[in-house]
Amino acid sequence: MVMPAFVLYLLVMAFPIILSIMLSVSNYSGGRMFGGEKWGFAGFSSYVRVFTDPWFWNALKNNVYIVLISVFGQLPLGFIFAYFIYSKIVRAPSFWQGVLYVPNIISVIVVGLLWQVIFSPHGPIAEIVNNIHASSFQRQLKAIFDGAGGFSLSDDVIKKILHVAGPSGQAMFSNPVPELKDLLASYAGQPISEIYTALSNLFVQKWSPAFLTRTDIAMLPVLFVILWMYTGMYLILFLANMQKIDPQIIESARIDGANEGQVMRYIILPALSGTIVNSAILAISGSLSSFALIFAMTGGGPSRVTEILSIYMYNNAFLGRPNFPLANAISLIMVLISVVLIVLTKAVEKRYGGKEE
Amino acid sequence: MSELIRETKLQKALAAVGRGAVYMVMSLFALMTLYPIFWLIMNSFKTTREFQVSQLAFPKAPTLQNYVEAWKMGDFGLLFPNSVLYTLGATAGIIFLSLMAGFAFAKLRSRATKPIYNSFVIGILLTTQTLMIPLFLEVNLLGLYNTRLAVLLVYIGAGLPIGIYLATEYIKAIPSAVVESARIDGAGFFTIFLKIIVPMSVPVATTLAMLNITGLWNEFALINILVSKTELKSLPLGIYKFSGSLSTDYGKQFAALTIGMVPMLLFYMIFRKQITKGVAAGAIKG
Repeated sequence: MVMPAFVLYLLVMAFPIILSIMLSVSNYSGGRMFGGEKWGFAGFSSYVRVFTDPWFWNALKNNVYIVLISVFGQLPLGFIFAYFIYSKIVRAPSFWQGVLYVPNIISVIVVGLLWQVIFSPHGPIAEIVNNIHASSFQRQLKAIFDGAGGFSLSDDVIKKILHVAGPSGQAMFSNPVPELKDLLASYAGQPISEIYTALSNLFVQKWSPAFLTRTDIAMLPVLFVILWMYTGMYLILFLANMQKIDPQIIESARIDGANEGQVMRYIILPALSGTIVNSAILAISGSLSSFALIFAMTGGGPSRVTEILSIYMYNNAFLGRPNFPLANAISLIMVLISVVLIVLTKAVEKRYGGKEE
Repeated sequence: MSELIRETKLQKALAAVGRGAVYMVMSLFALMTLYPIFWLIMNSFKTTREFQVSQLAFPKAPTLQNYVEAWKMGDFGLLFPNSVLYTLGATAGIIFLSLMAGFAFAKLRSRATKPIYNSFVIGILLTTQTLMIPLFLEVNLLGLYNTRLAVLLVYIGAGLPIGIYLATEYIKAIPSAVVESARIDGAGFFTIFLKIIVPMSVPVATTLAMLNITGLWNEFALINILVSKTELKSLPLGIYKFSGSLSTDYGKQFAALTIGMVPMLLFYMIFRKQITKGVAAGAIKG
C-alpha cells in the first residue's frame, strides 16, 4: 500500500539528489545524458567555483536577510496580532484573520509583479510623492499671489515665484525674470487655478524617486513584500494554538491576580514554545527555498543585487551557456543546508517537545 | 474607597486608549493588505494611457478591453483548463496515495514501515524547489519533458511528505478495533481501506485538499522547468509572460494579474474556514 507513494517519492526526491551528486562532480555540459557526448568525473572544481564566486555569497546573504525578516518580522508580528485577537482586545476575530491571510492565497507571481509596479519609479508611490510636491508648490504660489493682492506681474512676485521654483526651475530660463514675466502675461485673464496648474506642471519636475532606483537598498522592498505576504500565515498558526489552551487555566490565573504580562509569560508563551520553534524552522526552510516571488518581482536585479540562492542556481542552469555541474553543486549545497536544519529541528524538538500538548 | 474607584477609572481609560491603538495598528495592516489588491483591480479597468496620467484615481470610463486582450494574448483559454487539471488531478492523487500510505503506516506493522515513514517526514523540509535543476534533467532523461504526466507526477511526489504525515497522524487516531473486526469478518486490506478508512478520513482529506489546491493553483517554480509549450502551461506561467516586454502595457498586465488572482480569492471566500483549519494543521510539520 505504501509502494506507489514511495516509488513516486523516490523519483521526485531521492533520484534527483543522486543525479545531483553525480553531475556536480562531472563535466556534463547538457545534451543527451547517455549515448550523447561523453562526460565524466571532473572532481570538485564546481564546488570550488561556487565558494569562490562572490555572487554565491551575495545570494546567500540575501537568503539570510529573508530568514531574518521571517523569523524576527513575520513571527513576532503574527504572534502579536494573534494575541490581540485571542485576548479579545479586538472584536471580529474572523474578519482580521480572513483579511490578513489574503496575500497567502494569491499567486506569488501576481504578488511579485504587482509590487514590482508599485515600487517602480513610475508607480503609485512615485505618483503620491509627486502629488505632494505639486500641491505644496501650488500652495506657495497661492500665498505669493494672495500677498500681492491677486494676479500680478510685479518684479517682486516674479522673483518670489522663481525662488519657490528653485534652482532647477530657474535654470529653464537664460534670463529668468523677464522671460517668466512674459510667460505669465500670456496667462493673463485665465482663472487663477489654471495658472497654478500650468506653473506647477512647468516647474515641479517629476520626482525621480532616488530610493526606488538605488541598488544598495533594493532588497528592502523585497523584504517588505515577504513580510506583507506571510505574516497572516503565522497569525493563523499561533491563533489556532492559543485557542487550544484551556481557558480555565487563564481564568483561574486571573482570579489569583495575574496581570496580562504574567498570563503571557507563564501560560501562553510556554504553551506555544513548541509552535514557535516549529514555525521558526518552517520559516527558515521556506525562506531558503523561496524562488518565484523574487523571480517575478526583481528577477534578481537590478544588476544581481537581489539574487537569492535558487535564482543564482536557476540562472547558472538556464541563462546563457548552461553550467549544469555548477547548478547541481548549488542545488546540493542548498539541500545540505536543509539537512542541517532538519537535524536542528530534531534536536530542538527533543528539548522543547515535551512542553507542547 | 474613592481612590480605588479613581484607579479603576484610570485603568479603564488606559485600556480604552490601548485598545484604540491596537485597532489602529491592525487596521493599518489590513489596509496595507487590501489596498494594493483593490488598486490592482481598479487599474485593470483603465487604459494604459489613463493609468499613466493618474494611477490613484477611479477609472473615468471603465473598460473591459484589457481583459479581452489579456485573455487572448496570455492564451488563458488554454491555460485555465490546464491549471484546473493539474491542481485537481494532483490533489486527488496526493490525497489517495497519502491515505493509502497513511493507513499502512498507522495500522499495518512491518519492519520496513518505520524507516520509510521517517524518510517521508524528512521530505517535509526538503523542498522540491531546491531540486529543480536535477529534476529538470531527470524529466528530460525519462523523456517526460513537456508532458502533463511529468507535471502531475512531480506535483504528487512533492505533496506526499506532508500529506502522508497528516494522514498517518489522523488514521492512527481511528481505533484499531474497527480495522481488526473487519479483518475478522474476512475483509481484505484494500476493502478495509476503501470501505472503512477512506470514509472516516474525510476531515483529513479536506485539509489536504485545501492545502494542495491553494498551493498547486499558484505553483510556479516547478512547472516552469517542466513544460515550455504554451498548450501545456498553467496560469501562473501565462501571467509571468506579462512581466517582460509587456510590462509597460499596464492595462493588459493588470487584467492578467487580476485574472490570475480572482479564482483563488473566490475559492478563499467560499472555503475560508476549511483553508484556515488546513493551514493550522499543515504547518505543524517538522
